[in-house]
This record gives sequence, C-alpha cells and structure tokens, in this order.
Amino acid sequence: MAKSPSPGQAEKALSSAQRHGQSLKAVNEKLADLVASLRNQKRRLAEYSQSGAPPASGGKGEASMVSDPSERTLAAELALARETLEHSRQEEGRIRERLAEIESENRRLCDEYVAVQEQNSELVNLYAAIERLHGAPDRTEVLSAIQEIVVNMVGSEEMALFELAPDGRRLVPAHAFGVESDALREIPVGAGPVGRAAAEGRIHVTGEDGASAFPENPHLTACVPLKLGTKVTGALAIYRLLGHKSALTDFDRELFALLEKHAALALHASGLQERIAGER
Amino acid sequence: MSVKAEAAPQTPSRTPPTAPQWSGAQRKILIVDDSSTVLLMERTLLSRNNYEVIAARDGQEGVEKALAEKPDLILMDVVMPRMNGFDALRRLRSYQSTQHIPVIMVTTRGELQSVESGYENGCNDYVTKPFGALELLVKVKSCLGE
Repeated sequence: MAKSPSPGQAEKALSSAQRHGQSLKAVNEKLADLVASLRNQKRRLAEYSQSGAPPASGGKGEASMVSDPSERTLAAELALARETLEHSRQEEGRIRERLAEIESENRRLCDEYVAVQEQNSELVNLYAAIERLHGAPDRTEVLSAIQEIVVNMVGSEEMALFELAPDGRRLVPAHAFGVESDALREIPVGAGPVGRAAAEGRIHVTGEDGASAFPENPHLTACVPLKLGTKVTGALAIYRLLGHKSALTDFDRELFALLEKHAALALHASGLQERIAGER
Repeated sequence: MSVKAEAAPQTPSRTPPTAPQWSGAQRKILIVDDSSTVLLMERTLLSRNNYEVIAARDGQEGVEKALAEKPDLILMDVVMPRMNGFDALRRLRSYQSTQHIPVIMVTTRGELQSVESGYENGCNDYVTKPFGALELLVKVKSCLGE
C-alpha cells in the first residue's frame, strides 16, 4: 500500500503540475497560431491558383521566418510561383512589343501595296493608251482612240484636235468632241493658248488649285502640243473636266506627255499608211 | 442570239442581288462598253487578277452574252449605241437567269441623277470614269463576295 504524501510533497507536486499545465497551454497556443497561419497560407494559395493574382505578400524572408518544414515548403512554392509569374509578365511584355512591331510593319506593307497597285493601275492605263494609239488601223481610229483616252482616262468630254497646216503658220481643226463650233476655227500659231502651246512646243495645264492658266479661255484645262521628235505637228485642246473630277492629277500629266509624242506619231503613221494605200 | 430567248420577263427586283460565295473556280466577268480603250484597260486589269473576261460592245450584245454565258459579274457602261446601260440593266433584272448577277455601272456619268437611276434599276455598285484600278478591283471583289 502506498504511503500517502506529506503536505510538503503534495504542494511541490501541485506546483509542478501547474507549471507543466501552463507550459502545455503555451505550446497549445503556439500550435493554434501555427494552424491558423497554415490555414491562412492555404487560403491565399487557393486564391492565387484560381485568380492568377499573386497572394498578399507575407513579407521578406517569409521562408526563413518559418520553422515548420511544411510551411517552409509552402513558402518555397509561393516564391517559385511568384518568380514564374514575373517571368510570364516579362514574356508578355516582350510579345506585346513584338506585336506592335509586326502591326507597324503590316501597316507599312499595306501602304506599299496600295502604292504599288496605284502605280500598276497607271501603268495599265498608259499601256492601254499606247496600245490603242498604235494599234489603230487608220486615221479615223487613231482620232477615236485619242478621244477615248481624253474621255475615259483624263475625264473630259470636251476636246479639239488641231493639225499644223502645210505652211506651218496655222493650226487647222482635225477632230472635235463636245465643243462649240467656234472653238473649231483655224488658229494662227502663237495666238491664244492653243497657238502658244504649239509655238512653244510645251504642255500648258491649269494649276493644281484648279485656277485656269488660260485667261483668254477659262474653260480650257490643258493644251498639249503634238510632236514628232522636236517638230510640232499639231495641238490637243482639252476643255472642262467632268463634274466629279475636280483637278488634274500627276497621272494626267504623264498621259499628256504620252499623247504629246505618241498621238502625233500614230497620226503620222496612219497618214503614211493611207498615202501608201492610195498609191497602190 | 436574241435577247428575247427567255420568255416571261419578271418585274425588276429593287434589291440588288448578291453573288454566291466563291467556290475556288475562275470567276467570269462580262465587260459591256463601246470604248475599245476601256475594254482594253479593264480586260488587262481583270485578267491579271485571274478573272476570265468576256466583252460586249453595247447593251443589247451585253444582255445576249449575259444570257448565254451566265457571268459571275457584269461591268456595264451607260452611254452606248443600240441599247444604253440602264435599259440593259433593266432587261437583265427581268430575266430569271440573269436577275441574280451583280452589276457594277462603270461610266463617265457621275451626276446624282444618273447614280440614282443606276441604283433604282438594280445595279450593285457605281464607279465613275476615270477610275482607279484599285477602286474597281475592290468593288469587283466585294460584289463577288471575295
């Protein structure tokens, strides 16, 4: 049978039990804090995995501040996730920059494509004009080709074509379309805008602002001398443009330069052809 | 071939038709214009863009060729001998076999009255001469649903 403790021993035992209880309580509180901390970490990681947004920072040296291995693992995973996120952000930035570069390049190429297409269009029109002038079998067809070029490419339904008389002093009307008959009188070389264009052997056109270069005849838009080499053989007068065409363009000037040389050549060739045919 | 080959013309439709979707075959375009220069310009432009091109020199020949050839698209001038473009367009819209064919008017007539007349007769688009190749190509492709 056990011997019952003395009062002194009982007090000691009680005191020891109380200290042990307090120690256990402190450990318990620490464990409760740790559990709460882990739950908090778990909740933040779950939020992060769902939203992609980084969890609220636990402060610098999070991993080093925790002593529990599982908490350290979580902290390391969190740090890795943050690093991956940062890397993804940098990659996204690089991709965005590259996209902007590609878009800029695409715009430049589109502009170039449009410019090339416009150039192509002008070349097609110039080709068609030359083909028509030199493919015409006779004088009537050459005159018809000149008229069609003026109507469909320049955009005017009023024109008159003059040829130099054998004496070289007068311009004689050879063909007209959409103009009053008084525009079809003979013109002395050097007189008026048409005569001046023939005398100078130079193309005269209205300004880019549409202001007429011909005070004597404000309806005139362009006077084009027709030349065989350097020799003037006639002149083409183009009057008002169509209502929907406000002014001449650079392409029109190229077309006038083409007409200046090739219309005269085509008319000359058709004249020769008719003469040869007549002699046969 | 007569333009009256197909009997019982129907009432012209006010709603311009749309072309069927592109199936990959070469598309056929009918150009109706009395100007050799314009025919040459448009033929050069369109054939370089892989279209098959046929031509007619006036409205009547245009209607006849449309009935015979069933093109995918028609480019139609307005001022032409024998039959003008508006009359030809009305004819095309009255025949069952051609009423669905898209028509682009290509003309020097740029005044509002002419444009309105074109649309009233059932054209799908309207281009004024002188035209830019790019402008015409864009409208051609749009009408063909490309």
